[in-house]
Amino acid sequence: MLEMELELQILWAAVTAYVLAGIVAVVGVVLGKKPERSVLALMLAGLSLQTISIGLRWDRLGHGPFITMFEILCSNVWSLMTAYILAYWRIRRIRATAAVVMPIMFIMLGWLMVAHPGEGHYPPTYNTPWLYIHIGLGKVFLGAVLVAVGLSCIILMRHAGLGRQRLAQLPASPQLDELAFRCMAIGLIFHTLMLIAGAIWAQDAWGRYWAWDPLETWAFITWLTVAFTIHARLAYRLSPPVHAGLILAVFVTAFLTFFGVPFVSVAPHQGAV
Amino acid sequence: MLSVVKEERAARRAAGARLLRLAASLRLTLALIALLGFGVAFAYLREDARTWPLVVPLILLAFNLLAAVLTNGVFRRQTALLVFHLALIVLLLLVAAGRLSYLTGYVGVTEGVPFDGTLAESQRGPLHAGDIAQVRFVNKGFSIDYAPGLQRGATRNAVAWSEGNGRWHEEMIGDQTPLVLSGYRFYTTFNKGFALTFLWRDAHGNDFLGSVQLPPYPLKEYSQAAAWSPPGSTLSIWVMLDIDEVLLDPAEHTSFRLPERYKLIVRIGDDRHELRPGDSLQTAEGTLEFEGLRNWMGYRVFYDWTLPWLLAACAVAVASLGAHFWLKFSARPWDA
Ligand code: HEM
Repeated sequence: MLEMELELQILWAAVTAYVLAGIVAVVGVVLGKKPERSVLALMLAGLSLQTISIGLRWDRLGHGPFITMFEILCSNVWSLMTAYILAYWRIRRIRATAAVVMPIMFIMLGWLMVAHPGEGHYPPTYNTPWLYIHIGLGKVFLGAVLVAVGLSCIILMRHAGLGRQRLAQLPASPQLDELAFRCMAIGLIFHTLMLIAGAIWAQDAWGRYWAWDPLETWAFITWLTVAFTIHARLAYRLSPPVHAGLILAVFVTAFLTFFGVPFVSVAPHQGAV
Repeated sequence: MLSVVKEERAARRAAGARLLRLAASLRLTLALIALLGFGVAFAYLREDARTWPLVVPLILLAFNLLAAVLTNGVFRRQTALLVFHLALIVLLLLVAAGRLSYLTGYVGVTEGVPFDGTLAESQRGPLHAGDIAQVRFVNKGFSIDYAPGLQRGATRNAVAWSEGNGRWHEEMIGDQTPLVLSGYRFYTTFNKGFALTFLWRDAHGNDFLGSVQLPPYPLKEYSQAAAWSPPGSTLSIWVMLDIDEVLLDPAEHTSFRLPERYKLIVRIGDDRHELRPGDSLQTAEGTLEFEGLRNWMGYRVFYDWTLPWLLAACAVAVASLGAHFWLKFSARPWDA
């Protein structure tokens, strides 16, 4: 019990660092300043603390954070932050997107704080490297889409006339659009890989590679929304705001798939009986 | 005259080409992808309508894509993109072939009693050509540990089969590892339980050794009963295993095991008997001897010859998709 207290305290410290990073990023954009180093430092501090918290829990339970809603949310916050920090660090010109990406993260952080941190049953079918491969690939997909969402929100805000001057430090919308498209392309590759790895695992574990269980169904629909977005951009030469809207739709579908379906349907896709 | 025919032909060809280009439209692709999405959602909501909402959009998409491959110059200039889309078609064809020739089924196999090629339930595609009737193997027993709260741990099941030349192979299967024989894959399931073995001697003095599987344990802990008729007889025999101990204590770390303290209750018509291992019972049509208890394991059976090809097509699809985007994006820098 004491151990769990410590893990949670470190996690709340991490959440605090993330929230501060978000606030500094928003205030920076509003005031037309560039507090980029502070934002990066705070995000990195949050990520380090969260890594320690996850590591402690992993060591205590003997398995990774993939079972309960609390664990799924926590590990996804971790991977999304990792993906976003990477993009933030490597692509300097889009750093102001932190002012929209971090508030999106707040939703997950808030949910994480009310999720029950107790432990779940680790089913025998999870004892395989495919668990890490499948989940890891999904996390890269979601991370790539998150970066695309950050860019899309900037495009949409500009289009709506929101904070035009404040957002002027970012590249022009067509460039953001191209970058968002590249993120979606990476997302498509990793989502495809995730589906393949999941099918291999399902064949090993349950003797069928695909059975349209709720998570499989929604993951396939998410894959279709990505294919749809990519083709729509080609077929109709979409303007950046429309493309951005489609990217948000993909994100919402993916979000519901990752966090909504396990929430409403616990029986399939785990073989925990 | 000749020129009129030529013109007619040219006109027809032009109309055909126009039709093909229409069929290849990227806007049609969009509509069809959306249709497939709705089809998937529909099939998910209505389990009895699993086929057509998926098959119709998929076939239309395949034609749309073939038309595009034939007419759209993009595919001639971008080989990786072409390979990716063709891999999608190959995947579709393989899945279709798999659906035509698959088999899925279920069978419970008592420890030490060879699987005789008969499945308890099965579904197969119309073109299934495998020969499950020839498949044999022996379940040599299994072990399953339970954590407190009856949380099932790993399943380890020893199985043995003969290669035909008399050489026997033994293998440990379970959770992630099926037994694969002649393309049939046998997966252990969480269905397992106790089986009663009997020796039945009919009126002519013929002996039959057989086993009766009781409902799964611990799933059906409180209904460990079964009814059956011995071979060649009209008797209906009802048996119940009355276990007089706690086998799997939810408060402890335990393992699946056979009960040691139990009674077998046998009812034939209005007669009730209690049997222990070695006891026999004289009936109107023969003698029933209760040999003892064994385990049985439920196996999920799956046959689909397309599996390795599906994997290969997936690998080609992802590699070509990656190559396409790599070529496309490396032409211009990322922070342009
Ligand atoms: C089945 C009907 C399909 C047709 C007719 C079709 C057609 C096309 C065409 C013609 C292009 C090239 C467009 C251009 O560069 O101007 C294209 C690009 C592409 N398609 Fe498809 N496609 C189909 C299905 C799919 C599906 C199901 C996916 C799955 C995700 C997909 C993924 C892609 C990708 C990733 C590109 C490259 C986009 C780019 O480089 O910008 N396609 N498709």
